[in-house]
Amino acid sequence: MATVNASEPMVRIEGLRKSFGSHEVLRDINLDVMPGQVVTIIGASGSGKSTLLRCINLLETPDAGHVWFHGADLAAEHVDVNRLREKIGMVFQGFNLFNNMNVLDNCTLAPVTLKKMKKAEAEKVAMGHLESVGLADFARASVSTLSGGQKQRVAIARALCMQPDLMLFDEPTSALDPEIVGEVLEVMRGLARDGMTMVVVTHEMAFAKTVSDRVVFMDKGVIAEEGTPAEIFGAPKHPRTREFLSRYLDD
Amino acid sequence: MSSALSGEQRAATKRGRVASFVLDDHRYVLLGTGVVAFIGMMLSSQPRPALSFLANAFTVELVMYYLLAAWLVVSAVALVFKLTHWKNYAATAPFTKPAVARVLRYASYVVWAMTLVLIVDRVVMGIASAWQVAVAAESRPTDDMLQSMCYILWNGRATFATGLMTTIELAVFGTVIAFFLALLLVFCRIQTIDRPDNDFVRFLKVVGCGFAKVYSTVVRGTPMMVQAMIIYFGIFGILRTTDLTTTQINTIWSAFVAGLVTITLNSTAYMMEVLRGGIESVDLGQTEAARSLGLSQWQAMRKVVFPQGVKYAIPGLSNELIINIKDSSVLSVIGTFDLMFANTTVSGIYYQQFQTSLIVTVVYLILTLVASWLLGRFAHHFDVKPEPFGSSSDQNIVIEEIEPVPVRDGENHRRGWGQGR
Repeated sequence: MATVNASEPMVRIEGLRKSFGSHEVLRDINLDVMPGQVVTIIGASGSGKSTLLRCINLLETPDAGHVWFHGADLAAEHVDVNRLREKIGMVFQGFNLFNNMNVLDNCTLAPVTLKKMKKAEAEKVAMGHLESVGLADFARASVSTLSGGQKQRVAIARALCMQPDLMLFDEPTSALDPEIVGEVLEVMRGLARDGMTMVVVTHEMAFAKTVSDRVVFMDKGVIAEEGTPAEIFGAPKHPRTREFLSRYLDD
Repeated sequence: MSSALSGEQRAATKRGRVASFVLDDHRYVLLGTGVVAFIGMMLSSQPRPALSFLANAFTVELVMYYLLAAWLVVSAVALVFKLTHWKNYAATAPFTKPAVARVLRYASYVVWAMTLVLIVDRVVMGIASAWQVAVAAESRPTDDMLQSMCYILWNGRATFATGLMTTIELAVFGTVIAFFLALLLVFCRIQTIDRPDNDFVRFLKVVGCGFAKVYSTVVRGTPMMVQAMIIYFGIFGILRTTDLTTTQINTIWSAFVAGLVTITLNSTAYMMEVLRGGIESVDLGQTEAARSLGLSQWQAMRKVVFPQGVKYAIPGLSNELIINIKDSSVLSVIGTFDLMFANTTVSGIYYQQFQTSLIVTVVYLILTLVASWLLGRFAHHFDVKPEPFGSSSDQNIVIEEIEPVPVRDGENHRRGWGQGR
């Protein structure tokens, strides 16, 4: 992270388009993410939030436009996606921990395979990250014995083991019950405090309000409004934003 | 027993009258064992075989016979009692008194024991006697079917043994080789174009996948008997164009080798589909997670998806061995000396198609039973066993239920990602 130029955007999305069949999911998205920034993407289901996030590490291939990451265009043909993905961690809604491995092996698989780290060294790094998410005691546990909140924290630790410059969170708490949402959000808050660049798709408005530097409101495949949390939550300009947020404020 | 009785009555209201009548403890003892006693009596009335050990203990067998008859009488009395005292049977019948019920239970064990003795004496010793006669016989005994079958089995033993060995070899080697070929083929089959691939790699992937598809379609869509003919005579024809003599060709390209090749190629196609099914049933999220960490498609497949997919495929793969044991029988059409070929040969000698086939049926059944038992033991090693919490083993693979995901954006139309453009 030391090499990152703080004045250049880490991620620059230009004119991004994506459609599934005849359904246009993303229509001309432009977005910059500066190093150290926490950007939350909010919006109704089906507005294209997750697809936008998945386009950043190319789990979805964009139809048009550019996704610049550290100055390399991810959307270009024949780009070495795998190398770039090493620097982009991703946390999924459904955790997606590797079921055939224990917690520690989940964390060490990528460093050992890709960074050619020694197993012992990778385990040391992994234990550090598991410690920071409070799961060091579960290092040898089978993935299936963990609760949802624990799984998601392992998933975060697993992504951190690759020492990413950018972390993508795709609704990390949507599959969790309200009581354990807190433990995952706490880990994410800690990451944000440590200066990690994060793009978070979430329905947790309180998290978006308190942690993020910028909030992006998406509606029907376009960015309807973006600004600081104070602007978006305090004085939303777009009528859709107001309508969307009023539902949350009612609760 | 009194507490069991009240339980019985409670159960009776729940299960319905007929079910409880059959299932209840002391009635089961009386009626169920009554049937056993009847079987014992039937066996006892059969003529004694030559090797019968009860022949020297006539009194013992007579006592056993009357004891079994007595048991039937007791059962009948109990049945009549039940029919006449349907509602208050439990309260009035002597059979439900604790001491009587206990005695009846012990007596039922004696009935079982006596019937077992009779089974050994009549059935097992009967077969042994027939075997003794058949082995010593100069020509096939025609009046007794059991002796006749024993004679055929004994005199055709060399042929049967050769056939049995060939069948086992074909099934085992065929399945094992086919498994490795299927691994190769399934890797071709599941290739998808990945973005970093250059045009040459893309071309190879398309060709590999296409080949696997065509192979599977053709092999699974044609009968193995026909495949055996094509392979055997096809390659024979090719070898004829060389300088080799027919004798030399027959040594190199024997019916056994051709049969093994056929069964291997056939099994490969089926095993590939089984493996593909296993691999495709692994959640797509597993691949996505691996790819998001930077693993290539191949690495994600090898380290994450494949180990999980094979687990799903194990039952189907082991089933393939059983299928091959049976299906190798069609290879006798090209003259592979398997069990079916032995059957044809031996039944041709004695003109006893039915009896020989019956022998071969039993041998096949024993083979498949043993194979499925062994495979069950084998699969048990890999199988899904819940691991104790916090265990240090990294071997634990628990097939997990799919997590309920309450909020799922409509935008996540999953498709084979990376295939775009």
